[in-house]
Amino acid sequence: MVVDRSPRLDRVFHALAHPARRAIVRQLSVGERTLTELASPLKMTFPAASKHVRVLEAAKLVRRRIAGREHRCSLRASPLKDAMQWTEQFRRHWEASFAALDTLLEEMKAQEQPRSRRD
Amino acid sequence: MNQKGLQISTPTDTTIVLTRTFQAPRRLVWEAMTNPQRMRRWMLPPPGWTLTVCVCEARVGGALSLAWKNDEADPFMTLQGVFTEVVPHERLVHTETMQLASGEVVSSLVETHAFAEQGGITTMRITQVYESKEARDGALASGMDQGVEAGFQQLEALLAEVA
Repeated sequence: MVVDRSPRLDRVFHALAHPARRAIVRQLSVGERTLTELASPLKMTFPAASKHVRVLEAAKLVRRRIAGREHRCSLRASPLKDAMQWTEQFRRHWEASFAALDTLLEEMKAQEQPRSRRD
Repeated sequence: MNQKGLQISTPTDTTIVLTRTFQAPRRLVWEAMTNPQRMRRWMLPPPGWTLTVCVCEARVGGALSLAWKNDEADPFMTLQGVFTEVVPHERLVHTETMQLASGEVVSSLVETHAFAEQGGITTMRITQVYESKEARDGALASGMDQGVEAGFQQLEALLAEVA
């Protein structure tokens, strides 16, 4: 498993990158909704809304239950939490330190320059 | 810029590999990684922590000793290790045990730094080998036990955005 190339995390961030899908997540944060209920405020057709829900399902952000003719959707928040806790914190710690190291190295190079070469 | 960006991978169950490119010759990267005065500049502690001890004797048998204090305790956490392999400007291997003031061991691992230079640009590869998969996963999940709160804040911000 390659952490920063995690397909699962990619799917979460990809899923949340679209305003319509954020709107769907927002609606579902209140409670379960049918696909028709999700589609109407977005002025979307059923297939278009279904397509967005499919992206959210792939990221495991949304669960869809088919009951008769109704597609009932609900939110699963754990991948969001996982995304933050599992890799982002570890990554952020190292990225911040290495960014500081970049700055330090620039200073060290600048200090050396007068002795080693003149531009 | 992708080439410069931090790459994190977990090639085995007990390993974390970090790779990062720096726009400097490896001689300088080595110096920044092993000189305590330099280390203090870039080893950023979590908010509210202060690095109080920084000893780095980059020779075989030499000590690596770090300590941090915070509002709760001084030291709050220590890192103790010994260098087992040192090839100047190329390769560093040291043990490392992070321990809370209570004596609880947070993590215990072997860390290898490999430095490769091409055209004045250095690629540093850090390989951390933990004692178990659980210990490795714990380190990844906790952000090395640092700044977990900040992670929750970011999560809240993200949830606030979608909510």
